Amino acid sequence: MAAAAPSVFLLMVNGQVESAQFPEYDDLYCKYCFVYGQDWAPTAGLEEGISQITSKSQDARRALVWNFPIDVTFKSTNPYGCEIPHGLTPALSFEGPQIVLSVYGPDVFGNDVVRGYGAVHVPLSPGRHKKTIPMFVPESTSKLQKFTSWFMGRRPEYTDPKVVAQGEGREVTRVRSQGFVTLLFNVVTKDMRKLGYDTGPPDTQGVSGPSPPQGLPR
Amino acid sequence: MAEVHVIGQIMGATGFSESSLLCKWGVHTGPGFVSPWAAWKLLSGVREGQTQVDTPQIGDMAYWSHPIDLHFATKGLQGWPRLHLQVWSQDSFGRCQLAGYGFCHVPSSPGTHQLDCPTWRPLGSWREQLARAFVGGGPQLLHGDAIYSGADRYRLHTTSGGTVHLELSLLLRHFDRYGVEC
Repeated sequence: MAAAAPSVFLLMVNGQVESAQFPEYDDLYCKYCFVYGQDWAPTAGLEEGISQITSKSQDARRALVWNFPIDVTFKSTNPYGCEIPHGLTPALSFEGPQIVLSVYGPDVFGNDVVRGYGAVHVPLSPGRHKKTIPMFVPESTSKLQKFTSWFMGRRPEYTDPKVVAQGEGREVTRVRSQGFVTLLFNVVTKDMRKLGYDTGPPDTQGVSGPSPPQGLPR
Repeated sequence: MAEVHVIGQIMGATGFSESSLLCKWGVHTGPGFVSPWAAWKLLSGVREGQTQVDTPQIGDMAYWSHPIDLHFATKGLQGWPRLHLQVWSQDSFGRCQLAGYGFCHVPSSPGTHQLDCPTWRPLGSWREQLARAFVGGGPQLLHGDAIYSGADRYRLHTTSGGTVHLELSLLLRHFDRYGVEC
């Protein structure tokens, strides 16, 4: 009389791209998009978005606030295509979804240049999570190229920001980290426990990520 | 079979005297002693990799944010996965010099964990230390398994390097079926 065991689980994420800290730059906007493996599918909400342009506040905090909403629901699909080792129940093998952020701002000539890329995995445990992620830009390979790109307003950027979510291919890139973005996630999952997953104790204070260096406002 | 998902990032490193840093990482699983029942299988994810080279503009922490997403299946608790790290610094000529070796066990309880992994590097003789200060280079391990095993460590004389910071989330599956508490 037991109900049929579920075969997929849902991951509902809402929250916001809260604010950023970039000591050297102002008038920034950010774009976010979700990157996920083939075992996930977004079922509701928006997978990408572009925020407003924000300027630093005049007070001592010098904060860059976006307060930009995120609302998406993922469904994990059942991968019958992959080879399942003997003795294993049809497993849900997945590459957890990640959110990729790109921050852009004007340079001294008025061109729109990239100020940072960053990515973080969407937390899989239910609860409230606050993540502060460092943002980095690719560096030019030579001083001449650095000057030319500054002058022409065409900085090195990734052709597809989703590259930021991967680990492969990073070993040949040189980057500069120059800012932080703070994100807030509220995560609700459905049927993960029924499928045998244990995500650990609920994380209600949920503060994680590197703290910005001393001297910068929190 | 029980499954373990390790999802997280190698955030970055602090405390190294050099500034343009990269990290080569790998995950080692395996029987602590030879046993036919203890076997870890990697179902998905890459077992090793190398981060980008980061030069920090603010503060002294080099940030990599390198994603780690591994899915293991296991029949036993022996040989719990260990993450081993090699931090190298790159100078303006593109040469790489060893900054530190370190390892840490992947956490064994589900949830999100902040890990700080201290590193060390081999010292060498006073001649080699002098050469390293002026010209660069310096002794390196021939076989990477000394990083995560204690077998021949007594032969080494090392000095300490900086700390690598990681954030890893563990998701366990079916561990309660086998009566394992973690």
